[in-house]
Amino acid sequence: MSKDPHIPLTRRGFLGGAAVTGALTIAGSAEGKKPGPRILGPGAALLRLQVNGAKSTVMVEPRATLAQVLRDQLGLTGTKVGCDRGSCSACTVHVDKKPMSACLLLAVDCTDREIRTIEGLAARGTLHPVQAAFVEHDALQCGFCTPGMVMSCAALLAAQPKPSLDEVKTAVSGNTCRCGTYPKVFAAAMAASGQAVPPGDLVIIGGHRDGDIPKGQLLLGQGEGPLGTVARSIPKDEPPAWPENGALSVVGKRTPRVDGVEKVTGAARYTFDVKLPGMLYAKRVTSPHAHAEILSIDTTDAETAPGVRAVHVVETQLEGAKLQGAPKLGDKRYPTVRYAGQTVAAVAATSPEAAEAAAKRIRVRYELKPHVVDVDAARDPKAPLVYPTAVDMGGSAGGGGAARGLAQNGNVRGPALTEHGDVEAGLRKSKVKVTGVFRTQVQTHSAMEPHGVVADWKASGLTVYCSTQGTNTVRDELCTVFDLPASKVRVIAEHMGGGFGAKFGARHEGIIATHLSRKAGAPVRLVFDRKEEHQSGGNRPSTVQTLTLGASEKGELLAVKLESFGTGGIATGAGVGAVAERLYPARSFRGAQHDVFTHASPCAAFRAPGVPQGIFAVEGLVDELAERLGLDPLALRDRLDADELGTIDREARRLERKLGAEAMGWAKRRRPGADPGRIKRGLGMAQSIWGRFVDMGSNAEVRIHKDGGVEVRSSVMDLGTGTRTALALVVAEELGLTPDQIAVRIGDTDHPQGPASGGSKTLLSVTPAVRAAAWHAKQKLFAAIAHRFKTSPERLLASGGQISVEGQAQTAVPFKKACAFMKTGEVVHLAKRAADYDGPPRGGYGGVQFAEVLVDTETGIIRVERVYAVHECGRPINPLAIQSQISGGIMHGLSWALYEDRVLDRRTGRLLNGTLDSYKIAGAKETPRIDVVLVEQYVGRTNTDVHGIGEPANIATAAAIASAVHNAIGVRIRTLPMTPAVVLAALAQRGA
Amino acid sequence: MESFEYAQPTGLEEALTLLAEPGTLAQAGGVDLLDRLKEGLDTPKRLVSLRKVKELSGITEEAGGLRVGALATLDELAEHPLMRSRARALAEAALHTATPNVRNQATIGGNLVQRPRCWYFRSDDFHCRKKGGPVCYALEGENELHSIFGNGVCAALHASTLAPALVALGATLDLVSKKGPRTLPVSDFFMPPEREVTKDTVLEPGELLRSILVPLGEPTDRSAYQKQGQRESYDWPLVDVAVWLRLEGETVRDLRIVLGAVAPVPRRATAAETLLRGKKLTEALAQAAGAQATQGATPLAKNRYKLPLLSAVVARTLLSAERGA
Repeated sequence: MSKDPHIPLTRRGFLGGAAVTGALTIAGSAEGKKPGPRILGPGAALLRLQVNGAKSTVMVEPRATLAQVLRDQLGLTGTKVGCDRGSCSACTVHVDKKPMSACLLLAVDCTDREIRTIEGLAARGTLHPVQAAFVEHDALQCGFCTPGMVMSCAALLAAQPKPSLDEVKTAVSGNTCRCGTYPKVFAAAMAASGQAVPPGDLVIIGGHRDGDIPKGQLLLGQGEGPLGTVARSIPKDEPPAWPENGALSVVGKRTPRVDGVEKVTGAARYTFDVKLPGMLYAKRVTSPHAHAEILSIDTTDAETAPGVRAVHVVETQLEGAKLQGAPKLGDKRYPTVRYAGQTVAAVAATSPEAAEAAAKRIRVRYELKPHVVDVDAARDPKAPLVYPTAVDMGGSAGGGGAARGLAQNGNVRGPALTEHGDVEAGLRKSKVKVTGVFRTQVQTHSAMEPHGVVADWKASGLTVYCSTQGTNTVRDELCTVFDLPASKVRVIAEHMGGGFGAKFGARHEGIIATHLSRKAGAPVRLVFDRKEEHQSGGNRPSTVQTLTLGASEKGELLAVKLESFGTGGIATGAGVGAVAERLYPARSFRGAQHDVFTHASPCAAFRAPGVPQGIFAVEGLVDELAERLGLDPLALRDRLDADELGTIDREARRLERKLGAEAMGWAKRRRPGADPGRIKRGLGMAQSIWGRFVDMGSNAEVRIHKDGGVEVRSSVMDLGTGTRTALALVVAEELGLTPDQIAVRIGDTDHPQGPASGGSKTLLSVTPAVRAAAWHAKQKLFAAIAHRFKTSPERLLASGGQISVEGQAQTAVPFKKACAFMKTGEVVHLAKRAADYDGPPRGGYGGVQFAEVLVDTETGIIRVERVYAVHECGRPINPLAIQSQISGGIMHGLSWALYEDRVLDRRTGRLLNGTLDSYKIAGAKETPRIDVVLVEQYVGRTNTDVHGIGEPANIATAAAIASAVHNAIGVRIRTLPMTPAVVLAALAQRGA
Repeated sequence: MESFEYAQPTGLEEALTLLAEPGTLAQAGGVDLLDRLKEGLDTPKRLVSLRKVKELSGITEEAGGLRVGALATLDELAEHPLMRSRARALAEAALHTATPNVRNQATIGGNLVQRPRCWYFRSDDFHCRKKGGPVCYALEGENELHSIFGNGVCAALHASTLAPALVALGATLDLVSKKGPRTLPVSDFFMPPEREVTKDTVLEPGELLRSILVPLGEPTDRSAYQKQGQRESYDWPLVDVAVWLRLEGETVRDLRIVLGAVAPVPRRATAAETLLRGKKLTEALAQAAGAQATQGATPLAKNRYKLPLLSAVVARTLLSAERGA
């Protein structure tokens, strides 16, 4: 064998990793030949690589990237591919000790280099200090960017053992974390280098809310908190109330996540990483035209292309709204193309390259139709129509305003009307009126793991690995589409790289992959690339809102009038929520919300659908109202929040404002624009509101085995919020164990049905079932072993890893040993989520965020220096994870406020910025100091008192930043994102 | 990405022989190249990897300044002590380009010959004028990131963030092909679209950029580079500016102001230079030069904001150069 690491093969098109059958042909500069340049390919060549200290041999074409080879040939799937263009650094590996993006390197260029991947970072099973610090500081959420982030930090520390905070930020300035975990990455890197972590507080204010005592079974008397006491009425069969968190042993403690080690070592397996024997790779054929009828689709060439196993042509409408009363396509064979990027057909082949080549051989003839992608132009009655007649769409749309049966005029659907009182009379009575037009842009979810599915159709049933927030929702949709019983469909989402609302149903790609798998008789992987993700992965709709507030001289809100137009492309759901009506209830209200259809991809739910848009307008205008009334913005909100019509906990939010104002020095806030100099500092704030939603389809099962092992099972999945850890904590608390002793089995429809993860309702839906299951399983355990303690089951206690008779410490037996007293192999309890306990109505959750910004008046650049977030959080199960989630929500809001904007070419309707290079997301250097204050607020409605936080975290941020920008420069900006173009134009207008 | 052959010559002659064949593309760091291959913008028959061509690597001091091999990485430039002290604009430009990972891989040669970032050009969906098509989509389309000077034919910006610094420092390029070597100032390297829109540089087929001579000038010379991106994390410039100053006491004896990300080629702000030559650089004069630098601009519908931005960055870069920090 030649010493040359490159031994070319004659066989072309070899990349898929199947067995090698072609003969080796030695060419190029191999020994014995005349000297000359080494020439390889285009077929597969044998390459020798040095990966993680071991020599590996692979057979790949010269076009194979290092990332592909590591993942597909060597099975090192810890190296993630987020963008495949070097823009996100998720695929960071060390090449000769330097961090590089494996997607930008050809494997043939690496044969003489030493490669280290995330799998090779931990030496002999001991975590690298950076990995350990990432786990300890919870510097990860979904975990998809984590291997890259860890590798970047490890490279920095190797070169610079004591980096400054700025050096840390620079080192990860190319790493995109869509969960927004940057503050904790900084903390972890500093801690790993033995330095102090940067400022950014996590404060928990113990506060209990007053409550009525309808049936008065139990009163928790710990009324020392600023929110007083809590009362609860506990139904039979429910576990007794927990005391406040301070008296619990694991719940409420800052707990590193139970799957942290898996995520920092690259061992965590995502749908993206699933590779089944015989698996095929799918590629979609999408329309390059924004509006067209398909005349014909010729798949002949594709069907005979090398490696192709199945071709599927889309013959039913899979996305967007549906025509009212005409659900069928009529005499048309193919659905109308309504956006550039819409799927027309798909192929499945033995390698991604073969699939891509075959997809290009599908010939589609289009009859082009005029299109419109601009929301203003689409409102013109003469604009090209997206739908010929009125449409409706189910509830998976992007926001409010999607009621069924609404009128449709051209592309404008609606209004969805909400009204009380006489708003015109209210406005006439108002001494002070403020009005404004607010514009917000389209934001793509851009989860680091793109939408993806591996569908495996077998006679015995369908198994689907899916990057989804809802295992059961995917299953149910596939059951409907393919007419399968639920018992024959299994959906698995073990780990998931971010969703933010865009990953619920099977979606069109799940349906197409299943069709292909059925046809091919083999598992099929269909995963979006980054451009496809921007194009078809969902988005937050744009809005244009005209809002008017009318108030009395004292600041009593007499009238609120809202008219909104937004576009979610071909989908409904571009409303702005109910915040104009509910944040500060007025004596009269009229809201008219419209969806404007455009030839653009369908929107999807996105972290508090509609609500950040609505808050941006409402809070912006309330600030202006305060100015007109000569009131401090906080003072006006004290007044508005106090209105008895409100559904928010007024005392909690008053406390939140007070805490934020004190911490941020509100009293010293300058007048708007009063900061001298070119770079002006400003301080602002905004409030949020979010409803309390419960998914009653939330079940959990707890098993206690005779050997002391404990399992909790539910189909709920963990989208990076820490659900897995929260479930472990709840069970551990109940059984007197530690979270690492609990095996959490989730993300699989084989388990009892759990909730989908979304709507900030996951933990408040499922933890009461989990706790009930654990408590009942414990009672069953006690019943089974009480005889060995010579007592009755009611007198047994599980605590501190032991079981004992209450009040008799000397009877304590380790948990494991006590379980062995069972005569059966296990005790099991399946619990469902009990309805919320009786009590006064609970509207939603409030929160307040303060932002401090610097505005460069010459360049228009806004820099957010600090965000102070104060949120009601019920009973925090794991404050560390809540802090991460709030940081992430703030980063989403900040990024939306300043950077993100999907750009479509108006002339062609095509997407222009479908990369992480041109679609700009806030990164490490845009991350402000973030302080999180959690106001504990046990409402006494469930056995865990959990609230949701994922969406509240994101709602107020953009509005708070806009408020701070106004304070800095004295100009109100009502257009997002606040780019230099927008800011400079606003400043010029003021100057003029 | 289509299949291709991969050739790895070990010497310059061998490389030039390979590159003389049609259908070949040279590969240095490969950062921009891979992007284009993946998008299907280029479908070469063969890549000629320059990695092992020793004549192309290294940074050495010679009589005229620093001789920088075309394969020197951005990281090497940013870290080079003499570059940092005597050609600061270039070191700063290298430091503020792309991501840390890319800086470890990308080369100065590749940076200079990379193709424009225009989103119409970069997308396989648009057959634009730069690709030999009939129209410039950006002129009437989404042009917020496009050029404000010289945009009559094509609104794409040249993409090199090192070029403004190299022009400001008066660097010259050493090009070589089978026909022999030639040298030319960096300022003559980029191709104005009105001359030949489908090309970005004057490189001939089969010609290779071998090295760059960065003059170090006099010890008292100063230079600076400032980039204003929308983000401070990995981002492309909205505008970037490089300045070189030759001072005599406090008087500006000579200078170059070079504007990036505003035109299809690096643009000398000659009128602004004239304003300052022979004067003491004050804040007011820097502002005036900043205003002067936008003269002659022809902004498009969505990029007028670049005018005040450019003025500000010119003034700041001048002052930064003068301060030496």
